[in-house]
Amino acid sequence: MSEGEGRRLSLDIRRQLSDFHLDVKLEVGGEILVLYGGSGAGKTSTLNAVAGLLTPDSGEIRLDDEILFRRDSGPAAGRSDRRNLPPRKRGVGYVFQDYALFPHLTAEENVAFSLWPDRNGRTRALELLERMSLTHLAARFPHQLSGGQQQRVAIARALASRPRILLLDEPFSALDLPLRERLQQDLRQLRRELDLVALYVTHNLDDAVAVGDRVAVLQNGRVLQVGPVDQVFRHPVDRHVAEIMGLRNLFHARVTSADFECLHLDWQGLAIEAIAPPEAAESTVTFYIHPEEVKVIYPDAPLADDLSHNLVAGRVVSHQHHVDHGHDLSVRLTNDQLVEVRFPDSAYTELSLESGEGIQLCLRRQGLTILHPPAEAKQG
Amino acid sequence: MIWQPLMISLKVASAATALIFIIGGGLAVWLARSSFRGQSVVEALIHLPLVLPPSVVGYYLLVVLGQSGPLAHWLGWNALFTWPAAVIAATIVGLPLMFQASRAAIANVDPTFEQAARTLGSSELAVLWRITLPLSRRGIIAGLVLGGTRALGEFGATLMVAGNLPGRTQTLPLAIYDSVLSRQPELTQYLVLLMTLMGFFSLWLVRRVEPGRRLSGAGAAPAAE
Repeated sequence: MSEGEGRRLSLDIRRQLSDFHLDVKLEVGGEILVLYGGSGAGKTSTLNAVAGLLTPDSGEIRLDDEILFRRDSGPAAGRSDRRNLPPRKRGVGYVFQDYALFPHLTAEENVAFSLWPDRNGRTRALELLERMSLTHLAARFPHQLSGGQQQRVAIARALASRPRILLLDEPFSALDLPLRERLQQDLRQLRRELDLVALYVTHNLDDAVAVGDRVAVLQNGRVLQVGPVDQVFRHPVDRHVAEIMGLRNLFHARVTSADFECLHLDWQGLAIEAIAPPEAAESTVTFYIHPEEVKVIYPDAPLADDLSHNLVAGRVVSHQHHVDHGHDLSVRLTNDQLVEVRFPDSAYTELSLESGEGIQLCLRRQGLTILHPPAEAKQG
Repeated sequence: MIWQPLMISLKVASAATALIFIIGGGLAVWLARSSFRGQSVVEALIHLPLVLPPSVVGYYLLVVLGQSGPLAHWLGWNALFTWPAAVIAATIVGLPLMFQASRAAIANVDPTFEQAARTLGSSELAVLWRITLPLSRRGIIAGLVLGGTRALGEFGATLMVAGNLPGRTQTLPLAIYDSVLSRQPELTQYLVLLMTLMGFFSLWLVRRVEPGRRLSGAGAAPAAE
């Protein structure tokens, strides 16, 4: 397995499903391609088609030169060049949404499942469990494991037979934030180590931003746009993509210095900090902050510990109140950047939020995500 | 006078249980995951011996196994009034119980587990052997115990096709009938007690293995990290 040689998964498939028509065309290299979209967009169906669990009506799926599936449409199509490899021969590792760990097998037996009846299966399974820091839990059954542990067993199991393609269906949706961040980094590293083509389904924007090299935005079974995460963010092809991406709070900044846990950024004249892995130290970076991670500083209240960095000032541009998620605020900062803020009904109700009103904000360091540079997506 | 019918009963019931396992299990695997036109008719036919009087089942078996029946015609084998005829009768009446329980247990297995096994390199046979059957094990065992016990207690159809020949086809239920007719109250009581105990034991066994929550799926709540 050589790094960077450029595995390439191409799919171009059509399938009539009960409530929409799936029509997906994608090229995936040695990268994590995020399939992003709401429910019923066709994300999971696409994964299932690649795995061989869903048979397209027509189209082609190929990995490099190997055809995993081919069926031409139309009555003229010959039967001879049809092909539909069964799932077991596709070299795919699939991490299911609820992990689908076999409840009657221990963690170790789950991981070794695909290696049966190979006698060395046990050794390989233990190796993988060690890689996922799960050695001490090898003899546990799935119901004796926490969500994060089950997740890691599921990934180890999917990797055991050395797949070429890794499919992940909302793998981190059930996990809490700190754990999720750790696993996101783990996953990116694993992908690189094993030179996998990875498809990652999520409807969570933070997930997409943190994990993806590129993102494909899906809606109603169609790919609306594919590109590096930051490019899709910045240049959505149309209003649909912009709406689906919930396009807000994506900024460029210059790195002034980096120490072991922190990047110091010059953001159009404002000095801010981000907690980021050292690999993110480029000279300029794109960062994203979720509107809920921008906190309004209440003038009289003492500052919480995690709100002592990245304090900025600005003026309210607009204020909207929604019944379902509280307040949405647009704030023009002193460096002329427009920041979106969202906070729940319960807080800050006494603040005056009229347009033009001065306001203090904190961009929570922990909530500030440095986007991966799109470099990896350039190959091929 | 107890041992002979007991041994015949055990011989007939074990052979019937083996057949019930293979045929009932096979039908359950086939029908749990398929849907085709006429499937409900097939399932109704399998269940029919549950609701028909034993004499009706016995009559059908007489027709099939008898001198002018297909078995005698094609195989030249007249099974009537031999112990294999008793096995066939016992199998027919025990089959629905096995089928019902194991079909439900198999249908209850989350198909995602089977899908996962396929992506992990398993053939369909391996999926059945390593995932579907282990996960529905409790239901299958419960069905087998019920079906086997029903086979052990089979009376009416057995009487019609295998007769009541002491030392050859006289099983425990038939021996009880005989002992009552020949006014041997002590023997009757022994035999009745024996049958009751065996029935009780098998129900206890079924309760022990009946599907619990633990093995029936992924429903277990994850522990805290």
